Amino acid sequence: MSESSMTRPPTAAAHHTSLGVDNRKLGVWTFIGSETMFFATLITTYFVFAPVNRARPDFQDPRKFLDIELTTVLASILLASSLTMVLALSASRRGDRRSFTTWLLATVGLGLAFIGGQVYEFNHLYHEGLTLSSSLFGTTFFVLTGFHGAHVAVGVIWLLSVFFKVRAYPDSPENAMDVEIAGLYWHFVDLVWVAIFVLVYLI
Amino acid sequence: MRILPGTLLRATILIALLVILTACSAGPGDTYDPYGDNARRIYELLIPIWWMALGVFIVVEGLLIYAIWRFRRRPGSTAMPAQVHGNMQVEILWTIAPAIIVLVIAVLTFRTQAENAVMPEDALRIKAIGHQWWFEFQYPGLGAEGKPLVTASDMYIPVGRPVTVVLESQDVIHNFWVPKLAGKTYMIPGKTNFLTFTAEQPGIYRAVCAEFCGEAHALMRFRVIAVDEAEFERWIDQKKTPPAAPVGTLTVNGLTGDAARGQAIFLDARKQCIACHVVEGTNARGLIGPNLTYYGSRQTIAAGVLPYSPENLARWLREAPKLKPGNLMSRVLTPQWIRANLSDQEIADLVAYLDSMKVSVALPPER
Amino acid sequence: MAIAERTAGTVSIPVVNVRPGWAGWLSTTDHKRIGIMYLVSAFVFFLIGGIEALLMRIQLGVPDNTFLTPDVYNQLFTMHGTTMIFLGLMPLNVGLGNYLVPLMIGARDMAFPRLNALSIWLFIFGGLMLYVSFFVGGAPNVGWFAYAPLTQKQYSPTAGVDYWIIGIGLTGVASIAGALNFIVTILNMRAPGMTLNRMPLFVWMQLVVAFILIFAFPVLTVATIQLLFDRHFGTRFFLPNLGGDVVLWQHLFWFFGHPEVYILILPTMGIISEVLPTFSRKPIFGYAFVAYSGVAIGFLGFLVWAHHMFAVGLGPLANAFFGAASFLVAVPTGVKIFNWLATMWQGSLNLTTAMHYAIGFISMFIIGGISGVTLASPPINVQQTDSYYVVAHMHYVLFGGAIQGIFAGIFYWFPKMTGRMLDERLGKWQFWLMLISFNLTFFPMHLSGNAGMPRRIYTYEADMGWNLWNLISTTGSLLLAVAFLLFLWNVVTSIRRGPIAPADPWDGATLEWAVSSPPPVYNFAVTPRVRSRRPLWDQKYPHLREINSGHGMSGAHNESEKRDGFEHETSPAMEPIHLPSPTYAPLIVSVGIMILGFGIIYLSDFGLIAASAMIVGLLIMAFGILSWVRISHVDSPHHAH
Repeated sequence: MSESSMTRPPTAAAHHTSLGVDNRKLGVWTFIGSETMFFATLITTYFVFAPVNRARPDFQDPRKFLDIELTTVLASILLASSLTMVLALSASRRGDRRSFTTWLLATVGLGLAFIGGQVYEFNHLYHEGLTLSSSLFGTTFFVLTGFHGAHVAVGVIWLLSVFFKVRAYPDSPENAMDVEIAGLYWHFVDLVWVAIFVLVYLI
Repeated sequence: MRILPGTLLRATILIALLVILTACSAGPGDTYDPYGDNARRIYELLIPIWWMALGVFIVVEGLLIYAIWRFRRRPGSTAMPAQVHGNMQVEILWTIAPAIIVLVIAVLTFRTQAENAVMPEDALRIKAIGHQWWFEFQYPGLGAEGKPLVTASDMYIPVGRPVTVVLESQDVIHNFWVPKLAGKTYMIPGKTNFLTFTAEQPGIYRAVCAEFCGEAHALMRFRVIAVDEAEFERWIDQKKTPPAAPVGTLTVNGLTGDAARGQAIFLDARKQCIACHVVEGTNARGLIGPNLTYYGSRQTIAAGVLPYSPENLARWLREAPKLKPGNLMSRVLTPQWIRANLSDQEIADLVAYLDSMKVSVALPPER
Repeated sequence: MAIAERTAGTVSIPVVNVRPGWAGWLSTTDHKRIGIMYLVSAFVFFLIGGIEALLMRIQLGVPDNTFLTPDVYNQLFTMHGTTMIFLGLMPLNVGLGNYLVPLMIGARDMAFPRLNALSIWLFIFGGLMLYVSFFVGGAPNVGWFAYAPLTQKQYSPTAGVDYWIIGIGLTGVASIAGALNFIVTILNMRAPGMTLNRMPLFVWMQLVVAFILIFAFPVLTVATIQLLFDRHFGTRFFLPNLGGDVVLWQHLFWFFGHPEVYILILPTMGIISEVLPTFSRKPIFGYAFVAYSGVAIGFLGFLVWAHHMFAVGLGPLANAFFGAASFLVAVPTGVKIFNWLATMWQGSLNLTTAMHYAIGFISMFIIGGISGVTLASPPINVQQTDSYYVVAHMHYVLFGGAIQGIFAGIFYWFPKMTGRMLDERLGKWQFWLMLISFNLTFFPMHLSGNAGMPRRIYTYEADMGWNLWNLISTTGSLLLAVAFLLFLWNVVTSIRRGPIAPADPWDGATLEWAVSSPPPVYNFAVTPRVRSRRPLWDQKYPHLREINSGHGMSGAHNESEKRDGFEHETSPAMEPIHLPSPTYAPLIVSVGIMILGFGIIYLSDFGLIAASAMIVGLLIMAFGILSWVRISHVDSPHHAH
């Protein structure tokens, strides 16, 4: 999704806009606002059902199923990917093609590692008897973390397409903006994971 | 063509006439004709709000019509009106004015709300359970040997004594509404709700399910029968005693049905009745359909589809799929099944049996 | 005299690359064409929803009627509600906004023209998917708010509910994308000098609505996804016997559903705030109060959802809170109405058809507002909720209010969009017929509701005292249909033979009237510079400028701004105008998403076929996105460098 302010004349650094913010950046911020409500609703649902789950005969205890060590590793992977994303953006602005390539592909790699870890976790839980239909915990847990995983996957595809589009001239204003807004989304997805990790896994 | 004040005026008069008309003819579901304390308090809250609303309506529509008439552009006029952008004083005024009105309404509202939320300790508790598409009523501890007394579609209550209805649902969401006695309360699967009201006058009150609950939602009705305390006790006493062995005959549509024969058909497993229905004192122990003990005293058939009469009952047994589309019994009593398994004579016998089980209660007037 | 024509000699007019005929519409990225596509398709859905209503009214005309079977009736009221809200009113407002917002703020297009095209196609396909359900086992029959657990497979085994979920989902994505587009366009694409405090009120209300949408729709999306998972993938969010919570569905639905009401009504309040000043020859009275009361309504809209649930048994405290919050809505609503009255006061009222509808809006919306007050009171609500009183209330708000507002807008802007005037005389006939038949149809519903008639019943007994009211309602609804036929006739004949519309037929004050009717593809040859809230009046009536930008309420202006109201940016007059190329990419992406949607519906029943459909859909989508990225790259203004 790469749009630009076509109706304005090209100016040196940024397009002229009323707020002085790039259109696409403002758009992604708005989108993130909407996504915040999406995840807030899913997390709320999880918490509405947590006590109901506990009181039921088919109660499945999150503490027994969730592997804190594995997910701590996953959380660190995602946090590290935010760092590499920042480095990739700054490299693209500097026009440093080599380190841009390194850091952006590192971000993609860490994202893929996270998805791999989640697939492993889901598979493991499934064999332990936790499924969408096994309990309220299964229902709420898989839908929440599954939708987050899908967002990470979309982020990986987004980052890759940005990489192939901008790798020749990562420092043109248009391309640097492509990297920046993909990064915004990536940081948001990371932040959602932090929330899920703290609220679902730690508490 | 201009906006004619006369047309608006005439429309207003017409509307007013309609309001007066309806106020004069209270139907059996009229919320403006309360017979219960809960509904009466709501009605009494509505009246002052209604007058305030009428005041606001007249003032605003009056200003609007006056403005149209007074400031309409005359033909050929090119005058430029004064370019007024606003006025802080009037803005504050008309921000505060509606705020005061709603504050008054809020205070009145919360008073009524508190009164209607009271649940007295000594209230008679009746459990009402919603089913697709009929109402079941259980009177805890009032049946034989301390078991609940179970019935359906007719809810008997004593006049003048608070009743707390404990609302539950067997399947989907239903909504318990006796317009003349109390406001609505949902019957929600997995949740228990409470509704307290006191019938102030004896009467038979129409009631419905008010929340859409599937195909035959429109035909999910019941009656609340408010009788005085002594009559209520008498009803309980009779109702908790299992019906005596059926005797006698009844002529339905030219066929003479025999009650004893009807009971035998009813209890014959091949005829399917006992798969779903209960009659106390027999081996009819089905738990899916409504309890049919003393069915002969029901006010209606199939949760308000037809008024009760032996002829209508015979019609219901024959035409259940047509009279109440989607109902569970019609899945068994299809026309083909009836042709193969239930002759007209057998239907007459069944009707004679069900009609023979009666309790004697002096029925109050329809409200 | 159109500005664009006057100045056209001094700028380079762009080579406009529009494909001819149907291809031009299928590949368009022009906000004006997309706006018209929204209006036309929404009006078609609106007429279908109206026919559904007529069928229901015929069924209810007399007691114990057998015109419709209960199941068909239940499908009709579900589709009527869903259609009117998601496929009728919302997109009619979006269509007007799409066409007008860029023009009113002096922009050449929306911020994201291709995303805009994606929105229209997803909306159309979402609507079509909903209607496909009629032909594949039955439309949804659970009511537009689809209360669980009736929506579960056990009680609703047909695919109707699934089509409802996916159809609403597609239009929901379209709405979120559209709202995002409006927010960025309005915040970022304003002409120089068009500060937020100088924006037309219609633009203000579109902005408020876009923000409401962005925050309200995801909640519905989550709820419908959870329902879909319950129906097909073994979850139990709304299955009470397994610990699910059916009241949660209601909370989630109405957290979206109540703001949705303001999504429907606020843009039409914006229309009224444009039409009334123009035809009163006065500025809007209390601009800031009208704008910010809209913001207040939008904000309060998120705090009142549970007033749809007073009979659910949430407890007296919760009911009291939500009742009080709902009462508060009356305050900003009252402020708006009084400011509209004050705008008309001492004006020179030109009673055009548009003005008829604007006044009709006020007069009928008051009734809907008043009946809303009793519904906000928890004790009264439990008598009136789920009865025909609610049906009356919502139609006074959404028909007497929103629809009349939309008609005001259509009669006002039709000349701008088509270059032809609508027949004013026929329009006024339509207005009076509609006003009378609307009241005949819906006023008696207050009475039947208070006489105990529940909503959503396909039949009723003859002795309930509702017969007269229902007969009047049915008669009124048939007359309403005639009013709509008059409108259709008016549109069809006026487009062909109506008088040619000048650029500024109504002596308007906002920027859309500064360009020709219909406007050129690029809207403005030169970006206008704005000095006040009434840029065009500043130019037409220079002697009023002082008054216009004076008065404490209109915001601070410095002396130099007061001198000239509206002029063109002179320095970059030779700027090249860059317009987005036409592209099929958004259409292709939408087709892919729709096929994916069909796959999801049948995934649990026809695994292999459905999964292949999903893969095909994803591939089409991927192809569409690739060509999208390519064209946006080629289109980019930086490409040349």
